[in-house]
This record gives sequence, structure tokens and C-alpha cells, in this order.
Amino acid sequence: MTTRRPALSRDPAPRAAARSLPRGSGPLLVLLLWEALARATASGFIIAAPSQIVHHLATHAELLLRALGTTGWAALRGFVWGNLAGVLLALAAVLVPRGERLLSTLALLVFCLPLVATGPILRVLYGPGAGPQVTLAALAVYYTTFLPVLVGLRAAPQGWFDLVRSYGRGRMTELREVRLPAALPYLVAGLQIAAPAAFLGAMVGEFTGAERGLGVLTVRALRALDLPATWSIAGLAAAVSMLAFAAVGWLGRRLDLAPPEVLLAPPVVRGRRAWSGLAEAALALGVTLLVWKGSMAVFGLPRFFARRPEDVWSYLVTAPGAGAQRQRLFAALGETLVLAVPGYLAGLLLGAGLALALALRPRLAGAVIPLSIALRSIPIVATAPLIVWALGRGATGSIAVVATMIFFPTLIACQHGLARTPRAVLDLFAVYDASPLLRAQLPAMLPAFFASARMAIPAAILAVTTAEWLATGRGIGALLATVASTSDYGMLWSAIALIGLASVLAHALLASVERRILSRTSAEQLAR
Amino acid sequence: MTFLKPTRRLFLGGALSTAGARLLMPTRARAQTAVALQLSWLHSVQFGGSYIAQDKAYWADAGLEVSLLPGGPNAPVEPPVVAGTALVGISAADYTAAAVNQGAPFKIIGVAMQKNPFAIASLPENPVNSPADLVGKKIGMALANTPVLEALCSINDVDIEQIEVVPTQYDAAPLVQGQVDCLLCWATDLPVAMESQGIESVTMLLADHGYAVHSQTYIATEDSLANRRDQLVALMKGEVMGWQDYHADPEAAAALTVEMFPDAGLDLATQTLQAARQVPLMFSALTEAEGFGWFTDETVAANVETLALLGKPVSPELWDRSILEEVHG
Repeated sequence: MTTRRPALSRDPAPRAAARSLPRGSGPLLVLLLWEALARATASGFIIAAPSQIVHHLATHAELLLRALGTTGWAALRGFVWGNLAGVLLALAAVLVPRGERLLSTLALLVFCLPLVATGPILRVLYGPGAGPQVTLAALAVYYTTFLPVLVGLRAAPQGWFDLVRSYGRGRMTELREVRLPAALPYLVAGLQIAAPAAFLGAMVGEFTGAERGLGVLTVRALRALDLPATWSIAGLAAAVSMLAFAAVGWLGRRLDLAPPEVLLAPPVVRGRRAWSGLAEAALALGVTLLVWKGSMAVFGLPRFFARRPEDVWSYLVTAPGAGAQRQRLFAALGETLVLAVPGYLAGLLLGAGLALALALRPRLAGAVIPLSIALRSIPIVATAPLIVWALGRGATGSIAVVATMIFFPTLIACQHGLARTPRAVLDLFAVYDASPLLRAQLPAMLPAFFASARMAIPAAILAVTTAEWLATGRGIGALLATVASTSDYGMLWSAIALIGLASVLAHALLASVERRILSRTSAEQLAR
Repeated sequence: MTFLKPTRRLFLGGALSTAGARLLMPTRARAQTAVALQLSWLHSVQFGGSYIAQDKAYWADAGLEVSLLPGGPNAPVEPPVVAGTALVGISAADYTAAAVNQGAPFKIIGVAMQKNPFAIASLPENPVNSPADLVGKKIGMALANTPVLEALCSINDVDIEQIEVVPTQYDAAPLVQGQVDCLLCWATDLPVAMESQGIESVTMLLADHGYAVHSQTYIATEDSLANRRDQLVALMKGEVMGWQDYHADPEAAAALTVEMFPDAGLDLATQTLQAARQVPLMFSALTEAEGFGWFTDETVAANVETLALLGKPVSPELWDRSILEEVHG
């Protein structure tokens, strides 16, 4: 007995000690480490200590609450309008399939408009007040709702549509009885992605000249080197976004949305002629130019800062010095693409990979999702200094910024896509004790993955231009910042046109890859 | 009885103040024209004189109802002035010159900052005291300001190739963290922030080394100058009176700023420091003799020269003193 005792106690003792740590000690340990690190690096003004943040929150509670109320209200209104617009656009695209390409293109182009161009225009249109903040919040979310809902509206088995038609009913019945129920879970994904985006949009909207709000306080805190304030505001923005995210998710579960399971849609054979694609492209270009010119004329925006299509044409093609201006613009675009493409791919892979990892290890979600929301809801001007400090001003930092901005929508969309794997298929795999990941779950995720790859195109451009403006000083982002401060609106609008064109081309490239893959795995997405 | 008295007095006081307001009504209501002044940044004591004009009803007494529109990182001043949303904007001679070269119909009608606030801030252990000290240094600055550094180098015969430019934005952290040796910033901005955080810094004003660019200039369109002269004169008159009060008591201006904008997250100590720092930039022997906002043909000529170096050629016609002459006349 006496000889065995030490042997026994030696083994379980450490485990017992580990178990004897009180519950919740993990976060406490993290807090302590954070505090220690912050204190050790205090002279470098890099990170704020938790104690400083708590102190700031306590001493500025009233100010922060008022600012939170202002920004939150603008974000909420933008959230409602933006999502409404996204859903209506998706419905229109399904009801009028011929117009879908055109709608998607216009939706993408509007989403690509950078803040340096929209900010002054919105401020002039609305005057003082929250108008620009609400609009920018809405603009930040409509596209990420439009795409998943569009996918959802199509995510129904062909047999159901056949059934509706066999009763002699039309598109409206199809929409009401089949498509809308199928789209609801995707709408939840869209709304969840929209929650942090709307808040960020409202904060950034305040950069266009606002009296109050968390965005105003962020600028102030950054400039004043007031780290506790910056981190408190970032924490608040992240907390509100997480709450909204959780609330939407809870509502979705509460409604117990059971989407139809999509099994074996027949492969689509589409006899598209080459000229129909070209005709669609020409139509999209024509309508875009018309909307561009028309909207500026309707609102009577001065040509000085709201350049028309013909001004851009003359700036880049016919005006004296157009050659040099073109060269400057294309050189900047080249520098931008070198960073945007790797960041885009890294963000997509990270998002999809995390979604798969969470499918295998659901318990990880508790740590991954909040962190992801935080990274998505804090303005990049606040996080960029930290990223730059950690990763430098070179390519790594910029690629990291891009990946950070786009992995979250990808993660959420893919997670929802994975959840769409038909139960019967999963059961079948379980019977054979085989992993369903590659053969069942991955194909089920693909439509959502492609939807997020589409969303990520404009998001990547936005992120890379911001990183260039704040950190690297190269590319289109730096060009936009420079020309905006020197009233060079000819170059500004030329850059916007080029960014839009590049996005549409990237979108078309992606769409052809998507068609090729989905025609095998999710043919229902391609049926029109 | 004991509690009746104060109540009655309060009631009386209320009635009297209402009566007083009624009496004042006619003057206040006299053709109040609504105009807007577009500021170049978020609310702060940088615009202290305007707040005083608002607070002391200098504009209201002249029949003008002025709304002060805050700026921000994505709020350029020129578009609202061109569009007519704002009657007057607070810009700077270099920005205005660039806008005019792009076809904007602006005139500079007053100059708040006689000396340009751009400065090179550095730390005492590695100071930049003269442009020559910049050689071999890493300078952090917003890229949009590259022409400023180029002009400084060209005026002082410094080879700009010997300076490493690092793009930074908004904060002094890169200097404090040692990412850069110095920053190109406003003397009234980041150095004040650093001092508030207990970090000592060295500032070298560009204006002391030949960089003559009017800053915080008042701009208006040619159309307004032709058709809305009365409003421009009234607005500038209020500005002049407000800034004269500011000069007399910058601390009071700082206190008023913090009080008027409780949601701006302003800190009284920092605002007071900034208020004091901008006094020598705004008030000089020239303003002492001619009044706030004044400019002469000589100061304009110096500006035209520096602006040519900045790649923004302008003619002296960009400056229009007629409004100031009416205000001070």
C-alpha cells in the first residue's frame, strides 16, 4: 500500500490541480497577462491595460453611452434600410431572371464606391445630421444580404417547383410557397453578417463631419494618443455588434427555420451563346453610365466634385496629359492588386477553413465567433495601428488587413451553408462511420462559399485601399487619399471607375468558375 | 410661508425672464438669415473664436443665424462651399489653390492663421531643430502632405532623397514607438496630445523656415462675393469680434468650447493648452495694426511664391480683401 501510494498520487495530482482551478479562471489568466503586457509596454503606447479601460469606461460612462446611442440609432436605421434593399433586390432578381445580371452588376458597383467619394456627396445632399451615417450603414450591408438571400431563394429542390407548375400556378405562388421559406435561413446569415457591418458603417459615416458619436470619439482618441479611450470605444463597438449578432441568431433559431433539403438537382445544360453575354455586358455598362450621369444631374451636384462619365473619359483619354494620368492610375492599380489578390485568397481560405474546423469542433465557436465579430466591427483606423505595429508596413501587414476584413462574412456564410447538409445524407455517412466532410458537407457549403467569394471582392478592395492609405502609402488607396485632399476629383472619379470595372471583371471571372463547379454540385443554383 | 417665498420669487423670475425675452424678440427676430460655416475639422478650440461669436450673439445681432458644420477625416471643406451648402469654408491657401486649379470658383476673404501651423515634431533625444537635421531621418506623415515636405526641402536646400518618408495618419504613436524619428503635423495638434500624455517633444515650425502658406483661411465662391456680400460681411464681422475676444482670454475660449460640445470628448486641459499654442500663429504685429484676419500684398506675394514650389501656381487675385476692408472699415 505505502509503496503504491506515491505512484498513484503522482499521476492524477497535476490533473487534479488543473481541475481545482476555479471555473472561469481561463479568462482571468488572459486578463492578467494582458494587464502585465500592457504595463510592460506602456511607454510605447501600443496596448491599453484592462484596468485603464475599465477606469475610462467608468469615468466617461455618460459620454460613451450618449455616443453609443447616437451611433447605434444610425446603425439600426441603416441596418433596416440596407437589409430591406438587399431583400428587395434579391426578390427582383428572382422574379425577373433576365434582369439579374444587370441588378447584380449595379449592386456591386454601388457597393464599390469608396468613402472618399461618397462622403462629401452625402454630406452635401443631406446637410448636417445623421443622414450620411444612416446611408453609409445601409450601403455597408445591402450587398452582403442581397447575395445570400439570392442563393437562398434558389435553394429549393426542382421537384417542388415542378409541383407548383403542375398545379398551374405561377411565379408568385412559387415565391410564396417555395422560395421564401427556403431563403429565410440565408436571410439570417445575411442579417448576422450585416450587424457588425452596419455599426462600422455608421461609425465611419461620422468621419464625413458629425457632431457626436463613437466614430467622432474614435478620431479624437486616436489623435490624442488616448489608448484607454480608443480601446474602450473599440470594445463597445465590438460588444454591441456581438449582441446584435447573437440576437439575430437567437431569433433565427427561435423561429426554427427549417429549409428544404436540396437533394440531387439535375445538372443544368445551358446553351448560352457568346453574343448574349456580350449584349448583357453592354447593357450593364450603358445602364451604369446612365444611372451615374442621371443621378448626379437629378441632385444637381456640382461638376467640381461630382464628375460625370464624360469627364472621366476626357480625363483619361482625350485631355492633354491624359497619357500621364492614365499611367499614374494604372501603376497604382497594379500595386494594389499585388496586395489585394493574396489577401483576398487568404481571407477566403481562412473563413472557409474556420467554418469547416468549427463543423468538426463546434466547441471552438465560443472563442472564434466573438473574436471574428470584434475584428469586423472595429473601424480599421483603430485596428490598423496595432496590425502595423505587429506586422509592419510591408506587404504582410496589408495582406493581413484584407484577410481580416473578409474572413468574417465568409466564415458566417459558410457555416450556414454547412448547416444545410441534408440530414439523410449525414445519417447515411454515420451508418458507414465515414466522415461526411469532403463528400457531403463541402459540396453543401459551396453555394454559400461562392456567395461569400462574391461579397469579398468589393470588401477586399475597400480593405486594401484603407491599408494603403494608413500604412503602406502605395497603390490606389494612397492615390485616392492624395487626390481627395487636393481636390483632384478627375483622378478620384477615374480611380472609382477603374475600381468598379476591375470588380465587375473579377466578379465575372468568379462567376464562370462558380458555374463550372456548381453545375455539378448544386445545380439548383443555376436554374432560371 | 417659509417655502412660499422662494416659489413666488422663482415664479416672478420666470415671468420676468419671459418678459425679457419678449422684449428682446424684435431685435433677435430681425430678418434672421440662415447661413452655414463649414469648419475644417471636428469641433475643438481650433475654432474657438467662432464659438464665442455664436455664444455672444455677435452674428444673431447682425441678423445672421450661423450653423457651424463640423469637419472630419472624410469631410473636405471645398464641396459644401461649391455646392452652396455652406456660405464660407475654413480651408488653407494650399488646399484652396489646388481646388481653384481644378476649376473651383473660390476667393480667400480672410486669414485666421498668419503663420502656417505645420511643424516637424521630434523627441528631445533625437531632435529636429532645423531643416538640415532632417537628413538621414525617418519622417512620419500623411502622404497627402508630401508637397509640404518637398517645398520645405526646396526652400532650405535639403535633398529630399536623404529623408525616408513613412506614411502615418492621425496619431503620434509611430514617433513614441520609435517607428519614425519625427512627424510632420500641426504644432497645435500632435505635440499638444503628446504633452497631455506627459511626453516632451521638440517642434520646429515650418513657417520659421520660409514656408509661407496662409492657413485656416476663409473661402467663399465668386458668386457669393457678388451676390451675398452683406451676409459675408456680417459673418466675417462676427468672426473678427469672436477672435478678438479669444485673443483677450484664450482660456475662456477653451472652457466655452468644452461646454458647448459635451459630446465631442474634449478635455479641458488639452483644449487650454491648444488654445494658448495657437495664439502666436493667429495674432501678429500685422493683425495688431490692421485687425484679425488681415493680409497684405507682401504676405500674399510670399504665399504665391511658396505655393509655386508646392506645384500649385496661383495668382495674387485668389485673395480678395474687400470683405475685410468693409469689416474693419
